[in-house]
Amino acid sequence: MTVTVPHYGNSFIGLKVLFDALGINYVIPPRSNQTALDLGVLHSPEEICNPFKLMLGNYIQSIERGADTIIIIATNGPCRFGEYASLQQRLLKKAGYSAQFIILNTQSGKKALFEGIKKIGSHSSCSTFQKMKALLLAITAISLMDRIEIKLRYCSGYEKNKGECKRLLQSCYEAVVQTNSAKDAVKILKSFKHSIKSLPLDYNKKPLKIAIIGEIYTISDPFSSNHIEDQLMDIGISTTRSLTPTWWLKDSVLKPFKLNSLSMHRAAKEYIYTCAGGYTRETVGKALLAFKKGYDGAIQVFPVGCTPEVIAKPILEKISSDKSFPILTLIVDEMTGEEGFITRVEAFTDMLERRREKCII
Amino acid sequence: MKVGLPKGLLYYRYHPFFKTFFEELGAELITSEDTNKKVMDAGIRCCTSEACLPIKIFHGHVDALKNQCDLMVVPRIMKVSNNEYICPHLCSLPEMVVHSMDHLPPVTYQSLYFNSQKQLFHWAKDVGKLITPKRSAIEIAFNHALDRQANYKRTIDQSQYSYKILLVGHDYNLYDKYVNMNIIRKLNDLNLGVISSDSIGNGILNKYIKKLPRKPFWYYYRQAYGSAAFLIEKGEIDGIIFISCFSCGIDAVITEAIKDDMSSLPLLLVKLDEHSGDAGLDTRLEAFSDMLARSNTHHKKRRI
Ligand code: SF4
Ligand code: SF4
Repeated sequence: MTVTVPHYGNSFIGLKVLFDALGINYVIPPRSNQTALDLGVLHSPEEICNPFKLMLGNYIQSIERGADTIIIIATNGPCRFGEYASLQQRLLKKAGYSAQFIILNTQSGKKALFEGIKKIGSHSSCSTFQKMKALLLAITAISLMDRIEIKLRYCSGYEKNKGECKRLLQSCYEAVVQTNSAKDAVKILKSFKHSIKSLPLDYNKKPLKIAIIGEIYTISDPFSSNHIEDQLMDIGISTTRSLTPTWWLKDSVLKPFKLNSLSMHRAAKEYIYTCAGGYTRETVGKALLAFKKGYDGAIQVFPVGCTPEVIAKPILEKISSDKSFPILTLIVDEMTGEEGFITRVEAFTDMLERRREKCII
Repeated sequence: MKVGLPKGLLYYRYHPFFKTFFEELGAELITSEDTNKKVMDAGIRCCTSEACLPIKIFHGHVDALKNQCDLMVVPRIMKVSNNEYICPHLCSLPEMVVHSMDHLPPVTYQSLYFNSQKQLFHWAKDVGKLITPKRSAIEIAFNHALDRQANYKRTIDQSQYSYKILLVGHDYNLYDKYVNMNIIRKLNDLNLGVISSDSIGNGILNKYIKKLPRKPFWYYYRQAYGSAAFLIEKGEIDGIIFISCFSCGIDAVITEAIKDDMSSLPLLLVKLDEHSGDAGLDTRLEAFSDMLARSNTHHKKRRI
């Protein structure tokens, strides 16, 4: 058995560590790219959202590299993610690819997740204790990776040597996938995290700060979001992103206890009166939090046809005019080139710059 | 007190409930007109452009009523059946409407759970309070409303025509004549009878969705798939027409499953948005009816 997983932001780091620790054969698909998207588009219904197509492309690229078992988590919410797995199974078969699916249903939350991990674990010769340790290592790795990324994207506004944060982040990604030892991977991540401390920073700078909000898959995936975070990093803007894989992992497991994202929900209350479907509330909550924390603006990114974000859009427009807090909405589809995207982001940041100058005068 | 009830979305499913409830409480109920060009244009103007047509149309109905009432019913329908979802749009309707439009009267933002009488009563209690302080009056109105809703039958099952078509779709697409360009009349004129996807009972639906690898978690997925599978097996229909909407995520998934698994019968997909035209539909329906006639003689010949 050779397993594979679809890409989901930087979660592959954690999963790689998990599979390495369990001694399971695996293929990590190439990070989402144009070929994956083209393959996905070819075999998917036109109307389905982009993350679906990219994931399908990931599977095909993995199958071509020898994978025969696909592991996917089907969360249950009123959005489409939950129906992804069965439709993808159907489409792969139609396209002539054979692969088995292991679908981890998190309908019943925690229990199902552990069931699924047990299922995968049964292909490993490790003892239960080792399996638990493997899981722990994986969780450590993914949260370290997330923390490094968050930190560096924030620090980039303050760096003394231009481009240093981005370089460090890139080398971190490169280094951690080099090793096939779970323990080494964690060690590498720890040392990178440590080296952030010695980055020369200039706290007298007052960089623009922008919150990236929107559909979770798209904003966590550089290819899907047209590298928007990197682009902002290049021009010395600090960014923060509302949702990360670690957050989502926590959300899937903790939802039964309603513990996650309390602060976002509290912030959203002003505009959302009860639980809306999908992650609308997180998007709105994050925008309001960013406003309260003195950010200069927010950018909402989502794939065309994404229901929860379409709902959020008019609410964000209202917030923007009520609080005079600039929010830019960018919608991605297969057609939009990166260029159009970049121009709009540039125009937005220029506007923020000017706004700020005016305020100072 | 004047209460406005917009004629959009699940109005077509639950209007007896809303009407009875508000009228029994002594409110003056104002319903918007049937959807028309003016309503649609207003909807397109008020609503975010990425939304689906039914959501835009709902905004249009709200716009038509907003200066005539003191309270606007904007139902936040969370569930219509146990362990299943409907659409995130319907769960966030009040937020969308309130933040997209100006000068609105107060709206009802409370949640409605049509799968549970107990939870539904919470809605009645909270909304009823705005009209009368008398709890007993609210209870009576609520019970009458439930009765009226239970006795309301709106499904279509025509058998006086030479062919029978299963019409699949959300209530607001099946029953809003403006939106679907009066498709049922058009089909009848071509001597095609219609049975609607909502006319099959729950028990049967549950039995016939077993073919799917996993129980769908959308109510409309179960309804569409189950009714089609059942009627095909019974040999009761000659074709399927699916009325769906552009930029509806749910319809995109259902379409795929129906296309794959119901391929034994002719299938016509009618996709709606604000640009759908009458003439185009006529041609497609005629072609569809011709195809039925051909494939059916085929059938008969083979049987001989
Ligand atoms: S949240 Fe948006 S992108 Fe994700 S599955 Fe739902 S519609 Fe698709
Ligand atoms: S189910 Fe589809 S058509 Fe209905 S409101 Fe939701 S997105 Fe629109």
